[in-house]
Amino acid sequence: MENRSNPINQTTTKLIAVHIDPAIFGDFSDTFLDPSIFKLVSEKEAQFCLLKKKSRLWAQFSDGKFCDYPYYLKNISRLIEGFKSESIQRHYPIEAFQSFIKGTEVIEKKIFSNASMSPGENVKDLWDEIIKKVNFISSESHSLKGLVEKILEIPFLQNFQSSMIVLHLKGQTKAELMGTMWRSEKVHTLIEIKDFNTFFNSIRKSKTKSFSTDDCGKVNLPFNGSFLAKEVISKKYSLITIVSRHDFLNYSHEEIELYETCIYLLQPHFERLIDQEFSDKKISELRICLKDFPLPLRIIDNQSGSVFINDLYRNELQDQDIFFNKKIKGSFSLDLYDSDELRHYAFDLFHFQRISLLGELLNTLRHELSNPLFGLKLSSQIFNTLDINPDDKSFMQEIERNVDRCQSIIENFSNLYQIQPETKPILLKKMIDESLVLAKSEIREVTKKITYDDECEKIILNVPLIFVVQILFNLIVNAAQAMRGQPERATLGISVSIHDSNVLIDVRDNGPGIPGDKSINLFKPFFTTKLQGTGLGLVLSRNLTIKMGGNLEYLPNKNEKGAQFRLTLPIT
Amino acid sequence: MKHLLIIEDEILIQQSLKKLFERRGFKVDVSASGKLAIQMILSYNFDRIICDLMLQDISGFDVIEESKKKYSSNEISQKFVIMTAYNSPQVLSRANSYQCRLLNKPFDNLEEAMRLMTE
Repeated sequence: MENRSNPINQTTTKLIAVHIDPAIFGDFSDTFLDPSIFKLVSEKEAQFCLLKKKSRLWAQFSDGKFCDYPYYLKNISRLIEGFKSESIQRHYPIEAFQSFIKGTEVIEKKIFSNASMSPGENVKDLWDEIIKKVNFISSESHSLKGLVEKILEIPFLQNFQSSMIVLHLKGQTKAELMGTMWRSEKVHTLIEIKDFNTFFNSIRKSKTKSFSTDDCGKVNLPFNGSFLAKEVISKKYSLITIVSRHDFLNYSHEEIELYETCIYLLQPHFERLIDQEFSDKKISELRICLKDFPLPLRIIDNQSGSVFINDLYRNELQDQDIFFNKKIKGSFSLDLYDSDELRHYAFDLFHFQRISLLGELLNTLRHELSNPLFGLKLSSQIFNTLDINPDDKSFMQEIERNVDRCQSIIENFSNLYQIQPETKPILLKKMIDESLVLAKSEIREVTKKITYDDECEKIILNVPLIFVVQILFNLIVNAAQAMRGQPERATLGISVSIHDSNVLIDVRDNGPGIPGDKSINLFKPFFTTKLQGTGLGLVLSRNLTIKMGGNLEYLPNKNEKGAQFRLTLPIT
Repeated sequence: MKHLLIIEDEILIQQSLKKLFERRGFKVDVSASGKLAIQMILSYNFDRIICDLMLQDISGFDVIEESKKKYSSNEISQKFVIMTAYNSPQVLSRANSYQCRLLNKPFDNLEEAMRLMTE
């Protein structure tokens, strides 16, 4: 490669730093760079360009290959544009070049005049030292704080007293100031996001990057005097780096340039350490979540065989109790167990999901239907006040009544599916009637026999209406579906009676009934005899009953055909 | 008080209200579009403007905001009657900020609603 490093052209030189990815281009990198177009400068010269011109361009040669720092890349398309016209196409079609670009990164094309290409030995030496040190501290730092402290070891910063950063992770409400003062004292404070933004913008807009603590707005830096600052922006965070000598003298151009360049060089390391700390935090929070997860849980790494279990996991849990199994990233699999805890929590969740989904749907429906219904009502009211013949009048009144009915049905529905159920005294009869209205389409051709023992029609229960209606609706629909298509007349019986201080609501049908072997599984989740059942209806219902201090059971119907469920609720 | 403007995009509601008010001797103009309504408000002098919030093109609040070019906030609180079927807390608090009358749709009592709109 040495012999390729032509002397710098006397007029201008296009310096394009390219990272040749050997995985893609292998040994072709030499051929790829046509020396008649690209002047290859030596490493030191390139570094000096960077130093002198405050350029973001940074190229490093190693074994004849350029390496770049990926965060400097810009305008790839512009570069491709440049290549299109160059003779490079003779050797490689543009597609190949584009795929090459994808595999690597390219730095902005920049023109350097020859004049700036004569570095003095001192600067080059200092630069060497800085590079070495930056590489050293970044490889030595395993934490963000460590890196911030070590910045002060960079040669030209040796008489500086403090180094700190203000970090704002996107989405957080506060920014964090951390670092070191007087080279030993640790600093850590939180900054309001509003103040941080003002501070950040003033630094971003500044051309000199040299500030005084008086310029900081509402941000209180823990020292007085002038300081150098540089902002760094990434997708995930905004960062301000600060160094200060704790005096009131201005900084020289060289210091400002060197500092900026160092921060450029350190940027990927900031990125890496922030990422790492971020994910460490995430992992530890996740661990806590999993540990306290309210269900027995086991995660197995199928590759290494290692197992994570949480506090509720018990050894007596068997494989057949696994209720939920999911392959997760990599070789991990997660098991949740069917257990009391599961019943307790998970069905609340199922219930909640159902209700909130339906509630949302019904709310939309209500809003969409209310307006046209109201229009119908108003216009029929107007017709009613006109002097029209009595026949037409009763016709219009019928329209009005129907509109009212539609309105009340839709309102009842949406009141029913409130997420926070209201508990208030309600006539049991009203709840049964409501459930029958809801199930109307299912029980169209079914004979209904609803009987109340003495005084039972007057029973008032202090329970959430929605719970009882949901349970009864479920039982009624189950009964109706079981009887569907049978030759004899389908009959649904609901009888209400009192036993001790409980009210018993029996829901019977004359369908095929439930075979003895299946009845033991009735209240198990996901057990269903229906083709399209979820197997959740009865489980949810029983869960709701238990919440109300009652019970839901299946009563085998020995003498008659059909199934019978009994809902027991306490009378308060 | 003579001249009313009803801004409502549900034509049955709009026409019914128009008829009801006309029978009581008011002069009534209507608009289903908020943008058109703004033009009308700026060009004529209505004694009362009954405005639905959910219009097809813009919201009733936008109509009120545009009317500020012509009317003071005191006049707005007098002239405008807001009708809405969406009485969420956000809507209510915004409507209250104009201090004008607010009617929920559907009306519980037609007579009362008519009185509130015209008194």
